[in-house]
Amino acid sequence: MGCAASLPGKNSGALNGLTSSENAAPADAKNLRVKLVLLGDSGVGKSCIVLQFVRGQFDATSKVTVGASFLSQTITLQDSTTVKFEIWDTAGQERYSALAPLYYRGAGVAVIVYDITSPESFKKAQYWVKELQKHGSPDIVMALVGNKADLHEKREVLSEDGMELAEKNGMFFIETSAKTADNINELFEEIGKRLPRPSQPS
Amino acid sequence: MLLSLVSKRSLEVDSRDAYGFALRPQHVQRYHEYLSIYTEEETERGEKWKNFLDRLDHSPEPCSSEEEFQDTFPADDDGSESGEESAASGEGSRKEKHESELGDDEEVQQSEKCTSETADEVLKESELDKEAEVLEKDSKPVEDNNNNKEQLESKEESGSEEGSRNGKHESEFGSKEVQDPETVDEVSKESEPDKEAEYLRVKSLEKDSKPVEDDDNEQSESEKDKEKEHSEESGSDDEKQTQSVKQTVDHVDLQQGNETEKPVAEADKCHEKEQQHKKSRSVIEWADIRPCLGSIEDMMCTRVKNIMSMKNSRRSDHASSINKSLSSIGESEQDHDSETSVGRSDSIKEENDAQSSVTPKPFFPWYEELEVLVRLGVPKDLRGEVWQAFVGVKARRVDNYYHDLLDHITNFDESKEHDVQRKWKKQIEKDIPRTFPGHPALNENGRDSLRRILLAYACHNPSVGYCQAMNFFAGLLLLLMPEENAFWTLVGVIDEYFDGYYTEEMIESQVDQLVFEELMRERFPKLVNHLDYLGVQVAWISGPWFLSIFVNILPWECVLRMWDVLLFEGNRVVLFRTAFALMELYGPAIIATQDAGDAITSLQALASSTFDSSQLVLTACMGYLSTNEARLEELRVIHRPAVLEIVEERMQKGRVWKDKKGLASKLYSFKHEGSILLDEQNSTQKEDGENLEDGSNVDLELDSLPDLQEQAVWLKVELCRLLEEKRSAVLRAEELEIALMEMVKEDNRLELSARVEELEKEVRDLKQALSDKKEQETAMLQVLMKVEQDQKLTEDARVSAEQDAAAQKYAVHVLQEKNEKLAAQLAQMEKRVVTAETTLEATLQYESGQNKALSSPRFAPQETLKKKTGFLSFGLGWRERNKAKQPEETNDDSTSNATSEPKSPEESKSEDLLNPETKR
Repeated sequence: MGCAASLPGKNSGALNGLTSSENAAPADAKNLRVKLVLLGDSGVGKSCIVLQFVRGQFDATSKVTVGASFLSQTITLQDSTTVKFEIWDTAGQERYSALAPLYYRGAGVAVIVYDITSPESFKKAQYWVKELQKHGSPDIVMALVGNKADLHEKREVLSEDGMELAEKNGMFFIETSAKTADNINELFEEIGKRLPRPSQPS
Repeated sequence: MLLSLVSKRSLEVDSRDAYGFALRPQHVQRYHEYLSIYTEEETERGEKWKNFLDRLDHSPEPCSSEEEFQDTFPADDDGSESGEESAASGEGSRKEKHESELGDDEEVQQSEKCTSETADEVLKESELDKEAEVLEKDSKPVEDNNNNKEQLESKEESGSEEGSRNGKHESEFGSKEVQDPETVDEVSKESEPDKEAEYLRVKSLEKDSKPVEDDDNEQSESEKDKEKEHSEESGSDDEKQTQSVKQTVDHVDLQQGNETEKPVAEADKCHEKEQQHKKSRSVIEWADIRPCLGSIEDMMCTRVKNIMSMKNSRRSDHASSINKSLSSIGESEQDHDSETSVGRSDSIKEENDAQSSVTPKPFFPWYEELEVLVRLGVPKDLRGEVWQAFVGVKARRVDNYYHDLLDHITNFDESKEHDVQRKWKKQIEKDIPRTFPGHPALNENGRDSLRRILLAYACHNPSVGYCQAMNFFAGLLLLLMPEENAFWTLVGVIDEYFDGYYTEEMIESQVDQLVFEELMRERFPKLVNHLDYLGVQVAWISGPWFLSIFVNILPWECVLRMWDVLLFEGNRVVLFRTAFALMELYGPAIIATQDAGDAITSLQALASSTFDSSQLVLTACMGYLSTNEARLEELRVIHRPAVLEIVEERMQKGRVWKDKKGLASKLYSFKHEGSILLDEQNSTQKEDGENLEDGSNVDLELDSLPDLQEQAVWLKVELCRLLEEKRSAVLRAEELEIALMEMVKEDNRLELSARVEELEKEVRDLKQALSDKKEQETAMLQVLMKVEQDQKLTEDARVSAEQDAAAQKYAVHVLQEKNEKLAAQLAQMEKRVVTAETTLEATLQYESGQNKALSSPRFAPQETLKKKTGFLSFGLGWRERNKAKQPEETNDDSTSNATSEPKSPEESKSEDLLNPETKR
């Protein structure tokens, strides 16, 4: 009986967090659906991360993303919950950030990617963190991803820096390599675990 | 013109289409199904265009000289020609069949045409082709020459094999003379140095000879040869030659100039670098389009000129508005905005008027026919040139402008470079390998061209600079035309067709999205409702479509056909129409989907497999006629303020892009207008928010300004620049103010939201308490009910007990009655006993009386008396006993004993029943 009283409060959160606000299919606790947006500087490997995750492919010279591109993928977590990710991969060039709100609005997850060999891209990641805190939905799950971990000999952004930024902003942090597929699935599984579960109606 | 480099072998690879673009594996089969349709369509439209151009040429329309057209046309019509030739040799025809199977690539047929003389030659040729391909990928310079003749000759020198082939090439002309009576005239004219006629043919030959030529020494040799040829040729220039040829020659002269002057100017540079420079220089060449397209070009050029004059007049308006703003310094930013947006829309309307005044029938009666032809598609081999004609490249081009831009890029001191410029450069470098990755024609040289075009454009129009997507456009154009032509086409498309689309704030692009969404709601209400229901915004999908002009979205055949219409119409209407057509085709499939992800995925998949290009283009162009530029412009005016507002909000991030045109493009306009050539000009930058103030780094090298007129122009520009700076400073102030307000608001908002949260929590607690209370209440009620039930039970028990008691009372009563009866009986019996006693006494008295009377017979009567006394004594004894007992117990005698016996258990029972009652 107490549960019913607390529902309205939780509900708004669940709507924002999951299933892109006004979804059609009912999201139950076992089958989650979430809109995920990838943000980050140009050339850090956003599209490559998605392609590796969705198709298991890596192409060093993939196409420039114009505007945004969309892919979806479903995974099953250990507790047999399935999560369907609706992934919006955005264009990296600075001016396309004018269009980014279109895509991150109503997103339940934001993955901010930088390139561990490029301090500049890390700066850009900081910009995105701020931008999302200002304009994203309040209970958005954010992940900070240092990509190109395979190029560790060219590393210019320390893992510690990434961790610090993530900690400060309540994000979770992971270093991946879209090339070797290292930590790619882990990234999405971890996101899946952190998703707010819709409260069950009694 | 890099498409010409797509060798036939690369086409054999299944994963690429006829244009050399990668096919997705799932589309390969469908593509091949459609390939025959494409080929059919291509042949059909080839004929139609030929007829059209023929008629156009014979019409009294002012266009380029008829002779020239005749000269060139057979070269255009490769198919039939090669067919005739191949008829001469079986090998050739066999090969051609093979070619057409592979896909009707123009170039393939051309290369074959040159070489189909003998079987040996053919075999050798195909071997060479293979070789060429391999080498092409490594180091073949992209040479698109007008100077075909010269090249031809240089090649003659470069090897005996080449020479012999060239001989054959000439003998081919001879055979043509015999076979084709129509071309007799042409052949006689071909002895003139007419480059156009041989343009394509020689290009293919050049391709064949590439492997041999690839050697650096040989190349420099051939370059020297070229120079030699220059002088000869410019001497032999015929007066009959049209303007186009003259332009080419101008260009050649310029090249000569470059080659002689450059070493002096850059004497300090090492030789190698110099050579590289030369090499890259050789790539940048301007080629006029074939003259048969002259009338189309003229028409489009008129359009371009009209628009330009419109812009010029607008600029003078602008100048006056600048004067105004000079007088009223305190003018607010918003006023500016509305002013510019209104001004812009006005000017666009004017453009439309201008356009409609250019296009209608009185001037060009064949306009509508051309429109139909364009909708049916432009033939592949004409496409590059037709596109240039449509964009009006000739009217846009300024001699040397492109070269100056390139000089500017290569000689630029990096330390002087702006942040923004460096950013573009970096971005371009990142994107070049990511533009049509793996396309066979975009080898190292192709990518160098791409880089140059993009850098030059960024320099030309800094308000746009470089925007992702332009790399694809430039790449596409490079595949169809020479580098400089591609540059000017790109300039036309981005500066005019997509004005404001790719600028830093992408305002027009966002406006178009709003307009598109509104029109979608109007036209496909059901579909949009469904998308709303799924939580999908139309702009998520259409945004990338518009921004990439469908490149990489649709199959290439569709993209090119759409671009045909786009470039012909000169506005973005066809973007909307194509998007509508796609929605019309695939809307039903989307309505069937049940979640956002599926809807978008299926739409993407369906769009990328739209191989029926004719269906799409015709649906788009015929089905949505009511969507026209005027209507779009109306809607744009409505939606623009909303976008501007958002952009202003974002301004706090520090970038100010107020004016749509950069200074360099303004300079370009000045130059273009007056044909004034400034020696060098540094492009000016729009400043980053941080260094807005230091506008002084806009440095123009003025030393070489030759006269006062130019100085005046420069001063004007300077004035513009200063005003811009001032305005951006004002903007900046405004923006900071807004930021401040925003922060204040933010604070309030935070407080409020905290308050709201608190309240919400309270409400939640209260609700919880309430529900708890309710719970308690119900519990109480239940207990109460239970108690009541118990009560009822006990009541029942009591009632039944009472009933029992009554029953027992009754039983007792009955027993008492019986008892009384018995007592009565007893009394009767006693009465009887008393009577019996009296009787006995009477009897006894009688006996004794008798005994006294009888004295004589004393003995005998005495015995009987004894007997009688025995009986009497018994009766008397009993009476005595009874008299003693009777007061206490009536039941003592034998009769009462018999009745009292059954009575005793009844009594005990009643006592038992009465017991509980007494207990209670």
